[in-house]
Amino acid sequence: MKLEEIYEEYDNNFKNGILPYIKCNNCSYSFYYPRNMCPECGSSDIEIKNSTGNGKVYAYTIFNGEKYGIITMDENFRFYCGITGDGADTGKKIKIVFPDNNGKKIPYAKLI
Amino acid sequence: MISGFAEAVYKKYDGSAYELMNEALVKALDMASLERSQIDGLFTTFLPGVFDGNLYLHFFPDQICSYLGIKAKHIESMEYGGPSVLAALYSAEKLVENGTLNNVLLLFGGKGSDVRSKKLTVDSYERMYSEVQNTPYSSLLKPYNYMNPVSDYAMVAQRHMKIYNSTDEQRAELMVKQRKNANRSEYSMFTGNLTVDDVLKSPVISYPLHLLEIVYPVDGFHAFIVSKKAKNLKDIKILGYGEAHESKLPPEMDDITVTPAYESSLKLRDKIKKCDFYELYDSFSITVMLQLENTGIAEKGKSGKFIENNSIAVDGDVPLNTGGGSINRGQPAYMSGSVLLYETLLQLNGMAGRNQVKSAGKGFINGIGGWSRNHSVSIILGE
Repeated sequence: MKLEEIYEEYDNNFKNGILPYIKCNNCSYSFYYPRNMCPECGSSDIEIKNSTGNGKVYAYTIFNGEKYGIITMDENFRFYCGITGDGADTGKKIKIVFPDNNGKKIPYAKLI
Repeated sequence: MISGFAEAVYKKYDGSAYELMNEALVKALDMASLERSQIDGLFTTFLPGVFDGNLYLHFFPDQICSYLGIKAKHIESMEYGGPSVLAALYSAEKLVENGTLNNVLLLFGGKGSDVRSKKLTVDSYERMYSEVQNTPYSSLLKPYNYMNPVSDYAMVAQRHMKIYNSTDEQRAELMVKQRKNANRSEYSMFTGNLTVDDVLKSPVISYPLHLLEIVYPVDGFHAFIVSKKAKNLKDIKILGYGEAHESKLPPEMDDITVTPAYESSLKLRDKIKKCDFYELYDSFSITVMLQLENTGIAEKGKSGKFIENNSIAVDGDVPLNTGGGSINRGQPAYMSGSVLLYETLLQLNGMAGRNQVKSAGKGFINGIGGWSRNHSVSIILGE
């Protein structure tokens, strides 16, 4: 798989309201930030999978009135994400949503 | 040994970074009793925007050597961000020790004001140029509203509060205590009375970090010269050294409150405890707290209590950031490493004036920096 293909598939998933991630078939490590191999074991046997979109806030901040944080997904990977809704705190449950962002769909973590 | 050291630091310098560079060099050469032509090695670094607003310079060390008239036998650029100068010191010492070089110039700094005036940081400078992708993940990182490194450290502070029950007041108290040290130093830019209330009433820039717990980027260069002998200074040696580098993005780390300072200091722990004073990288209040814990000076999760219970003054039980730190000196070109090293050399040479630590024989410096605080350098200096 080429890096460009991973990004294309990520974009397609975003358009369909799905949060993708990458799973290594060799060592089972899950990660979000695209590499065309597993950064844990170096294997090229990786696969793009769909997250259920369920997760929890790991840490967060508020900058310019908007919430932003690190989210831990149920599939055991973490990523940076904008956060919407009230009552942000570590451990709070979220659902990934895809609001329109300047004509592009990108993931946001909605507090539930 | 360090044969000469100098700073040329201004809140906002009305002129070129190249001029500042030369000003620092001239002062350091003077202290070392050396001529420019005797410099045969150069260590430096480049951060976007800090050389007169430029995103990059063409083979930038060439521009530095050409401008300053330095004919080097060895040139190296360190890319660790804030602690780069500390790693450069270690490498320069080795190259002088083994006879490869005679007098190595470490030249670190630039102008923070050009970046600051655009309401950007060096981490966010790519936003100026839509075609620039600073990381392979930029398209996933860019769309959200945040400003690193502030937001990154803010999240660490938030999680530290949640997991370890540290408080806004504890971080503010550290700032108050550093200010007291600054008020006695002869070079601090930010002085005057400061209370916990002042810190907590200053604007929250990225929750939970307030304006007065965030370092202020300024203009300036530091020059350090490493030679076989120091004519006019004490023979200061490296008594302990470690560096460590993280390769994961913060969301991929096991625990964001553990920095590479844990690993870089691991073999030095016993020596660290015996040091007479401590200079810990202070880009933010939380940065100091993380290093207190990660280098074993305080217990994990208990840096807040440690700050409450200890005096960090020069005559206190744990003299820390004895000159007031870069929080009060200002941070030249978004890098605090030189400020820490400069203060350490003042202390070890008995040149710290009213802020002199009595019998300052050994000092511990820890620097953290780079993208997502990926780099840490731990160094102990002394006679």
